[in-house]
Amino acid sequence: MYRPVSGTAILRLLQLLIVLALVVAGNLSAQTQAEGIQLPNPGTDLWREVRQRAQPATPGPTSPMRQAPGIDLWSEVQQTNPVPAGNTQVKSVDSGMLINPVGDQWRRFRMEMLVPYGGYVLGGALLLTLAFYLIRGRVPIHAGPSDKRLLRYTVYERMIHWFIAAIFLFLALTGLTMLFGRSLLIPLLGPEAFSLLASASKEGHNLFGPLFLLALALIFFRFVRRNIYQRGDLAWLLRGGGVIGSKHVPSNFFNMGEKSMFWMLVLVGGVTALSGIILVFPILGLGRELMALSHVAHGVTAMAMMVVIVGHIYIGSIGMEGALEGMATGYCDLNWAREHHDWWAEQCEQNGEVVSVEEAAGTEGFAQGAPKHAPLGETGK
Amino acid sequence: MARMKFYCDAERCIECNGCVTACKNENEVPWGVNRRRVVTIKDGVPGERSLSVACMHCSDAPCAAVCPVDCFYTTEDGVVLHDKDICIGCGYCFYACPFGAPQFPADGAFATRGKMDKCTFCAGGPKADNSAEEYRKYGSNRLAEGKLPLCAEMCSTKALLAGDADVLSEIYRKRIVYRAASSLQRGVSYQDATLRSPSGLTGRASSNE
Amino acid sequence: MIGDFIDGPLWYLSLTVFLLGVVWRLVAILRVGVAPDFSTARHGGAGGALRTLFTRSLPRRPVFTRGKVQLIAGYMFHLGLFALLFLAQPHVEFISERITGFGWVTLPHWGFILAAEVAFAGLLLLLLYRLMNPVTRLISDTGDYTASLLVFLVMLSGCLALAQAYEGLRLLHLLLAELLLIYFPFSTLMHAFTFAISRGYTGAAMARKGVNA
Repeated sequence: MYRPVSGTAILRLLQLLIVLALVVAGNLSAQTQAEGIQLPNPGTDLWREVRQRAQPATPGPTSPMRQAPGIDLWSEVQQTNPVPAGNTQVKSVDSGMLINPVGDQWRRFRMEMLVPYGGYVLGGALLLTLAFYLIRGRVPIHAGPSDKRLLRYTVYERMIHWFIAAIFLFLALTGLTMLFGRSLLIPLLGPEAFSLLASASKEGHNLFGPLFLLALALIFFRFVRRNIYQRGDLAWLLRGGGVIGSKHVPSNFFNMGEKSMFWMLVLVGGVTALSGIILVFPILGLGRELMALSHVAHGVTAMAMMVVIVGHIYIGSIGMEGALEGMATGYCDLNWAREHHDWWAEQCEQNGEVVSVEEAAGTEGFAQGAPKHAPLGETGK
Repeated sequence: MARMKFYCDAERCIECNGCVTACKNENEVPWGVNRRRVVTIKDGVPGERSLSVACMHCSDAPCAAVCPVDCFYTTEDGVVLHDKDICIGCGYCFYACPFGAPQFPADGAFATRGKMDKCTFCAGGPKADNSAEEYRKYGSNRLAEGKLPLCAEMCSTKALLAGDADVLSEIYRKRIVYRAASSLQRGVSYQDATLRSPSGLTGRASSNE
Repeated sequence: MIGDFIDGPLWYLSLTVFLLGVVWRLVAILRVGVAPDFSTARHGGAGGALRTLFTRSLPRRPVFTRGKVQLIAGYMFHLGLFALLFLAQPHVEFISERITGFGWVTLPHWGFILAAEVAFAGLLLLLLYRLMNPVTRLISDTGDYTASLLVFLVMLSGCLALAQAYEGLRLLHLLLAELLLIYFPFSTLMHAFTFAISRGYTGAAMARKGVNA
């Protein structure tokens, strides 16, 4: 909704890209850094001799029986592709693999990228939002609150919004507990109490995760039509949603920033949810490589979502006068709509959908001619 | 202080799985959990080798680094242990471990892994030494009785060795040197020895260890 | 310790309050009696009562058109909660150990979790519907919100205790369940029992009139 935030939304997107680049660069450097540790070994010279003699003087196929023992073995064991190379009587995930090649990369990602940079990005987003509030203040309704209202969200739309909001907050809190708890909460709570909290977080996170996918699907099908980009969105973007310059940028029911947030949440949130579902099904016997990859995708996308949602919550609550009203009561102030979604407001006025405060307070979802996009009735289906 | 390590000699391991059985029996690990396994590389083709692998009790253990509840600790003997009362069964240690040592009693849907279980170097856990609770949760504590892990103690070919890293590396060094020497003297790898008629150079070829 | 209290006296107290309260409420309702119907009955009432008891569990066509969300969410919540409460292995074990002395077939763990997912989605959506719809908001009182919140907290604490490894989480779940048991007879949650009475009454009355309802 919320024009002014999108300037910062772009900044945040840049931040995210930088973090992603860091992650990729970190992985690349991790691969190039594979230096061996040289330890003095009295057998080394002997074995060099053995190896040389084992090589046939004339080039040609080596007799397998003449290979020096143990030389090829370690190249086999230190496999670089995560396909189990060995056989074993123990039948479990990756049990034929002697050395897991992705474990160390994953550890570096989690401990050296996700935990510190995730913390910086999230803390930075909070600080940036605070700074934005201190500099710009609450965006007022310039024309002042009116006594006219427009139906903005039906009961069903508000239901699914708060449904996904509640699930998201729960998942974010439990996820952050597991990610940062070791460094932030163990010193406060002690290991036993934190273990209890972490276990509760883990079980709750796993159970509510699939519900997020359901909520995301409900949100997608309900709001997708209003979030398709249209003429005027580019102009909105170029002028930073009104942050750049003082002139107002017109927009429809959702502006360019809101549409972008919608698509980002659907796509990024979809990746988060699906990778999370992979992570909660160890029973499928998925190898550690896929699990590690899912974890990377889960962590990065969840961080991105949390950063965007910080902005969304800010501008939907204290950041803008009249913004919360639509999602809380279903009705928004006519002057607010004229200032932030003028094309939509104009259309509503032409269709005679403006109601008085009293009507809005008394009838809400049951207003007489409800707007076209919100058919009469509480479910809207 | 001693620094406990395992060493498995691929030239000696005959893939008998005696160490696996010894471990399961000594520690009464639940179904589906195998603290130790024998992996055979190039199974059935020339150059086949087997290695017995379990927790290698890393000096800088990746499992301990990634654990979200910080349940790992290293004992004075350099044994990496974990506290099952703290473990939440997230599986991160399994993703980070190079050797696939961490095991979970149940791999159900929705991440219902139980508490992680792994090789303890037969050193029990954070409970009182040789108490019933320690045995139930972590298995036997042979180290407290002055004994080494049963897998290595029972290894029929002495391929799997367990003990102080200094002692083990001394044995390892000797074996390597003898093998190299025997290869040089015979002009071939010693693994060809059984295919050759005796050359009179006896004695040095077999390891003293 | 507080744990001993929750898992001891309070458990028996809450169970007693629940049982006595439910019986008292049902007796009170039945003692009110039914107004005499002087017209000649066209059919016996018993068959109609029994039939309505079950047929009313299925939605009528007009209900579908009124609102699908609360209908679907309602089924999700009630079926999920029923499966959770009576078919989840930890619950059956608890009931068998504390009350009945025998157990019955339980859901596999994934079934338990699936039931929990379904029940949670239903409960959250219904709670939000109650808050968002002006009519339901108008007719909802503190009792309704207390009941919804208690049920939600019981389910949430149960979900947090899924690892079944922490005494503190188990006690929290038990404590909330006990509070729910104590609250149950004195709230609209009594519909779990009284639905049979009201449906039976309607069914019997309609059957006597010869109306297919």
